[in-house]
Amino acid sequence: MMLDLLIPSSGAGKAILAAVLLGAGSGLLGSFVVLRRMALMGDAISHAVLPGVVAGLIYSPERSPLVIFLCAVAAGLLGAGLVRAMMATTRLKSDTALGIVLAFFFAFGIMWQSRNQESTAGVMNFLFGNIGAINTADLRMMMLATGLLCIVVFVLKRPLLVMSFDEGFSRGLGYPVRFLNAVFYFLLTFSVVVGLQAVGVVLVSAMLITPAASAYLLTDRFGKMLVLSMAFGVFSGVVGGLVSASVNGMPTGPVITLAATLVFALTYFLAPQHGVLAKVLRRGRRRRRVYRENTLKAIYQIQEASGFSHEDVDLIDLAQKRRNTEDHARKECAALLRHDFIELSADGQAVRLTTSGWRRAMEMVRNHRLWELYLTNEANYADDHVHEDAEKIEHILGANTVKQLEQDLDFPELDPHGKPIPQPQLVASPIV
Amino acid sequence: MNYLTIPWESFGIGAFWLMLMAFLVALPCSQMGSFLILRRMALTGDAISHSVFPGVVIAFVLIGDLASPWLIVGAGLAGLVSTVFIELIHRKTRVKQDAATGISFTALFALGVVLMESMLGKNVDLDLDCVLHGRLGLLLEEAHVEILGAQVPQPILVMAGVSVVTILAMVVFYRVLLLSSFDAGLAASYGYKPVVIHYCLMFVVSFIVVAAFQAVGAILVIALLILPGAAAYLCTHRLKIMLLLAGLHALLSAVGGLYLHVWFNTDMASAVVVCGGVLLLLTWLLGPVDGLMWKWLKEEGRQPDDDTSHST
Amino acid sequence: MATALETHDLTVTYHKRPVLYGIDVAVPEGSLVGIVGPNGAGKSTLIKSIMGVVPSSGGWVKVFGKPLKENLHRVGYVPQRESVDWDFPVTVMDVALMGTYGRLGLFRRPGKAEKLKAKEALEKVGMLPYSNRQIGNLSGGQQQRVFLARALAQDSDLYLMDEPFAGVDAATEAAIIELLKEMRERGKTVLVVHHDLQSASEYFDKLLLLNMRLVAFGDVKEVFTPELLQKTYGGRLTILSEVADRAAKL
Repeated sequence: MMLDLLIPSSGAGKAILAAVLLGAGSGLLGSFVVLRRMALMGDAISHAVLPGVVAGLIYSPERSPLVIFLCAVAAGLLGAGLVRAMMATTRLKSDTALGIVLAFFFAFGIMWQSRNQESTAGVMNFLFGNIGAINTADLRMMMLATGLLCIVVFVLKRPLLVMSFDEGFSRGLGYPVRFLNAVFYFLLTFSVVVGLQAVGVVLVSAMLITPAASAYLLTDRFGKMLVLSMAFGVFSGVVGGLVSASVNGMPTGPVITLAATLVFALTYFLAPQHGVLAKVLRRGRRRRRVYRENTLKAIYQIQEASGFSHEDVDLIDLAQKRRNTEDHARKECAALLRHDFIELSADGQAVRLTTSGWRRAMEMVRNHRLWELYLTNEANYADDHVHEDAEKIEHILGANTVKQLEQDLDFPELDPHGKPIPQPQLVASPIV
Repeated sequence: MNYLTIPWESFGIGAFWLMLMAFLVALPCSQMGSFLILRRMALTGDAISHSVFPGVVIAFVLIGDLASPWLIVGAGLAGLVSTVFIELIHRKTRVKQDAATGISFTALFALGVVLMESMLGKNVDLDLDCVLHGRLGLLLEEAHVEILGAQVPQPILVMAGVSVVTILAMVVFYRVLLLSSFDAGLAASYGYKPVVIHYCLMFVVSFIVVAAFQAVGAILVIALLILPGAAAYLCTHRLKIMLLLAGLHALLSAVGGLYLHVWFNTDMASAVVVCGGVLLLLTWLLGPVDGLMWKWLKEEGRQPDDDTSHST
Repeated sequence: MATALETHDLTVTYHKRPVLYGIDVAVPEGSLVGIVGPNGAGKSTLIKSIMGVVPSSGGWVKVFGKPLKENLHRVGYVPQRESVDWDFPVTVMDVALMGTYGRLGLFRRPGKAEKLKAKEALEKVGMLPYSNRQIGNLSGGQQQRVFLARALAQDSDLYLMDEPFAGVDAATEAAIIELLKEMRERGKTVLVVHHDLQSASEYFDKLLLLNMRLVAFGDVKEVFTPELLQKTYGGRLTILSEVADRAAKL
């Protein structure tokens, strides 16, 4: 058979090929599972295949992968069908229906197995995974199934994606939603069964969820998510397989699951856009920017109070305005200096705004006063209520919103407290 | 041979103890599980039963005794860790709650298995077999204690205690559970704290899960939590009756499970669950409220009615 | 007249997104108030935050001159009908009895007096004949009546009702408004979230116009004016919600 050419002869080679197939199959379907919020359906189906595996082991003494595969798929589909039937005909909610099928099928498998202990001696491999026990015949089956999976997903990628995003809309497009859903459950069961021998019934749902969730944190593109989640699946499979092989009697499934979890933990912290670390850094940057802008505003207000009569502002005045020590004011100014918003006087005791500093300071003051005006005029705030809100909003008003505000307020010149609203687009600096 | 008396012939009084033990495990699960179902938290029960496992393993490694109360502490902590993980994942990132739950409990369960395999030698009380089947089948080999002249296996006393505590707690807090499950908004407006109630319920469930875990294994616990309540839910519209029926389901599963165990020579814990599952299928088919059979009969009966209404 | 409900600067943010800004309102005792405003104006949020069901991020609420916590039993809350699972295994009587739970505290069980109260309440809304029915077997209007009966059984002085007219038939709507008016006659204060502007002017004595901000509060005659309605529904506050969206994304 042609496929056999692809199957390596060494044990390690086989294990790696198995891991690749496992990662590809479950990574592919896992992306849909995570996006459709069906993680727990995956869990239910993966437990529900157990009686099928046991039946396969009992009725195929020569342990034909095809028989086991078909029995497992049949059991998984029966489970999925039962969940849907239960939800359609009773008041039971989806979580309960999933739990019932998961528990009942799994228990039935365990009971049946315990009655036929001799013929099902290898069942532990299917429960907790044993990548080392996968032989050439198994690999052939896995390759066929994964190949079929990839082809169907490739052909139906668009309709499946639309349906995952918005089932009602895809019905409106005239897609055969019932048929597509049936295909989806079929594929899901397939991918569960492909991963079965490597990861085992108990934890195979982790391979559907964890790699895909990691990929989800790394990209906003569906195509990329598919590739990444497959890659993570393969990586976890290989690492898990190798590590468990080095420890005597350690089942593969839990180790693969932990490897996948490790990948998730890394992306959880380090993902550039959606990772926790990136979010913390962004928040820090934003806080520092707000801080800088508040210092600039304070300098502007000191200037305004003195009628913009001279260019320099003493550090001691700034410290007083910001209700801080002079040391602190010096630190604030160092940050502004780094961004070229100010220049230091020769003796280092006073600062003056540069052109870009003036511009930013005027923008902030304008935003603040515009927002105060908007809140009092349009949103019926009392004018002594608006300052605090404006303190926050001034930093996040975009250029478009500012334009809209100016238009709505009829290009105002004074804020509700009677202070002039600066116009950075007209004058470079208010210094007289 | 008389099928009904086989268990008694093979186990003697042991048959009674096995049945009683299975019932005492299933009873508290059935009561709390009913509330989990009503609160749409059936799979939270699943997540808890998987994720307490590493806690049990670590506590067992440290203490070396499966009956130690420290196991409950370890399990409770592990349950808490999993709740925290779920929250951290779905609050701080775009990953949704179902996937967050899946990630957390599979990871903790995997950790438990790896810890168990690497830190515990073979042939100890806690192994993969125990995770799958529990120790219910080994009940008669456990230490016995003399109570009122009878030799009672010790785990029965523990489970009896757990059952009594659970049922007492449920009776005392019945209205709080009812109201917060039915209408959390109104409950909050009465000053009940939904978060506190949630965590208390989670605590009680973890407590029961750990106790039941040793009897039926980590994975089958979920069955004992969900099946009785679901079957009872299909039979009645009254909460009190639902709770009673769930208890009855637990009893019937225990009795039926023992017979399955003996008749087919199978594992006892899974037999109890399978029996419970069959009972559930029966209620689905024949249950007085949601029974498919009655719905079909009604539709059959309606057709002639329609005909007459047309002809008149 | 004494003040039944007073809020000051009540502000609510949901998922970091402000949904209500600084609500100042004082509702006199014995008034029947309609809360109206466009979708997303925060009508339900307002009464939920008054009840403490959703936490407020600023401001305070006083009920009959005291903080809510001290007067909790004088306030009855009627959530939206869709907020509960109507398959829940309880009967009409059970739901009406829940109205008495607030006064019973955590441990006392409902006795004869409570059952009598629940029965009277059901009688008043015409649901007594159904008291043994499971709640899932009721029509939308009947379910709403059960909710009202539960509120009556609470025997409060101030009621906050979330869309009691949503999805009910005309007869029930008329019966409910009759009941609300009767409650006002007995000196109760009732706030009702309402989505139909037309009937609002007929049903209530006072209106609270809301669109993230309090637009106006007062007698129907004074408040039901084209300018104020335009201000409430006219969408001039789009920038406010735009900016709120941006703030939430940070």
